[in-house]
Amino acid sequence: MLLVHPVNEVIRFFPALIAAFLIGSSSGEGGWWHVAAVAVPVLIGVARFLTTRFRITATQLELRRGLLSRNVLTAPLDRVRTVELTSSPIHRLLGLSRVEIGTGSASNPGSDKLRLDSLPRAEARALRSALIHNVGHAAATDAAVDDVLLLLDPAWVRYAPLTTSGVVIAAAGLGAASQFVEPAINRLESSSVSLPAVPLGVTVVAALLAFALISSVLAIIGYVVANWGFTVSRDRGGRSIHVSRGLLTTRETSLDSERVRGVEVHEPLGLRLAGAARATAIATGLRRRDDNSAALVPPAPRAVVDRVGGLVLGEADPFSAPLTAHGPVARRRRFTRALAGAAVLAAGVVALVEALDASRWIDLSAIVAVVAAVPLAADRYRRLGHGLVGGWFVTRRHTLRGRRDALATDGIIGWSLGQSWFQRRAGLTNLTATTSAGKQAYGVHDVPESAALTLIRAADPGLVEPFLAPVRSAS
Amino acid sequence: MTESLTLRDPTERVSPRAPVVWAAGAVVRGLVLGGLLFAGSVVAELFTMSAWAWAAYAVVVIGYAVAMPLYRFRMHRWETTERAVYTQTGWLSRERRIAPMSRVQTVDLEQGVVARLVGLATVTVTTASAAGALRIEGLAVPVAHQLVSDLTRRADLETGDAT
Repeated sequence: MLLVHPVNEVIRFFPALIAAFLIGSSSGEGGWWHVAAVAVPVLIGVARFLTTRFRITATQLELRRGLLSRNVLTAPLDRVRTVELTSSPIHRLLGLSRVEIGTGSASNPGSDKLRLDSLPRAEARALRSALIHNVGHAAATDAAVDDVLLLLDPAWVRYAPLTTSGVVIAAAGLGAASQFVEPAINRLESSSVSLPAVPLGVTVVAALLAFALISSVLAIIGYVVANWGFTVSRDRGGRSIHVSRGLLTTRETSLDSERVRGVEVHEPLGLRLAGAARATAIATGLRRRDDNSAALVPPAPRAVVDRVGGLVLGEADPFSAPLTAHGPVARRRRFTRALAGAAVLAAGVVALVEALDASRWIDLSAIVAVVAAVPLAADRYRRLGHGLVGGWFVTRRHTLRGRRDALATDGIIGWSLGQSWFQRRAGLTNLTATTSAGKQAYGVHDVPESAALTLIRAADPGLVEPFLAPVRSAS
Repeated sequence: MTESLTLRDPTERVSPRAPVVWAAGAVVRGLVLGGLLFAGSVVAELFTMSAWAWAAYAVVVIGYAVAMPLYRFRMHRWETTERAVYTQTGWLSRERRIAPMSRVQTVDLEQGVVARLVGLATVTVTTASAAGALRIEGLAVPVAHQLVSDLTRRADLETGDAT
């Protein structure tokens, strides 16, 4: 039996320790606050250390833990899908790693994940190899003999401002800072400094530019912290894929190759205009909520994404093959929806302007919205595509989010065809394939019904034939 | 010469008593929303609801509770073969799901309060995919039990771990 070091316990309490220490010293009668603040977490940590055990037998992994209640978690070794090694800065300082084991259980994501906090790093790596390759603990080899598929090129940082991550952080920061804005304005007004009169338009533009600059800087920082040293490698036997990245907290995820069922390529509008994209792996056993667990390629040039995706899947065609377009009916539907939506929005804006008697310049934005809807609809239609390429179900859709997914047909469990009332009239359907990997369902909307059924018939012969209506051939 | 494929509807219908359960659900939802409107207009006084507004709301709720179950009854169908389960659900929109028997993991039978009073049950077929469950509501209890034993027998015959 191996022991698990409880350093994490003290680490977890470190901030509380410091706070208690400061509070104790500032309140004057610090004495026994200090003792309690230090002694309690240390005692808890030691208790956890003494009561946590784990064991690997030939067939399963057992983790026994619990201070007051006893928990025994077992996982059969052949159910292990992914192993993730995470090291926060403190872990790295001490040469430790936290091991998280995913078993692909659909019932209870995240809560009972097998987590071994703080093993020495070499031991954590050996454990990972043992679990992924399902060999004895002693026979595990190190990661040094892997094939490297991808190494981060620092020049890719230029794509960071084009993703939405910076905007999200900046918006959150803005929200937090807004409570300081009002007192600041009050102070400005009461002081005798007179500011030059600046027209509203210039102020708005300047504010937007400042926001864009701040969110770009934040995005770049976020990119560097999350993706520094991004490496994708595959072991010589091709049995597992390792992804490691991180500047402060390093994260190494290992996926059993058999459980990688496909690749999602994300091309949000900003990245797509710059010729870039990012990719995540579709695999069973990864936490579904945490998209970053499965990151395969950070924002990088499209050619790099396609190359790495092809290497991971073993086939480059799903990323380059042309997909079937959805036909004129789908195109008409895209235009109708976009123009109708824009018209409603414009009408609403005009009505509001009239009601509030605001500046007529705002009407201009309504016209811009309607005019912009046309190329947006055209792009949305152009992107729609589906196909069966080799053994992969490939779909492409969306303009702003920009997705192109390749899913292995033998990973597809069932099919779902949804039609709204309008789609039924138009003969279109939303085609979705359900799977136990990744986001559980992948598909595309506005597919002509006949094309959807032809695809299902080709992907899984014999499944849908009994349910087809008697065939009418159109010559 | 290309063939134009379409899916036909599944063959089996649900029990004629199923609209009762759906109507009961619609009435409950209407009452809850009415309660919220009441709280908003009378208690919190955020807006006013005239008598006409209340009348219109009542008409909408009653219309929905009468029409929706009828449309749903026409739409909801199910079918099982030796190889697959095929369901169709919805009332304005339509969703059809097909799952192969080899990927079925569990078959559940459940009865809500109103369903039990009317003698109906819901059968849920789950697969390894969280998005891939098929539900058949409004089955008469003997039919539901028969379906569950049929499905478990057929799924048993398939080998593998169904992921």
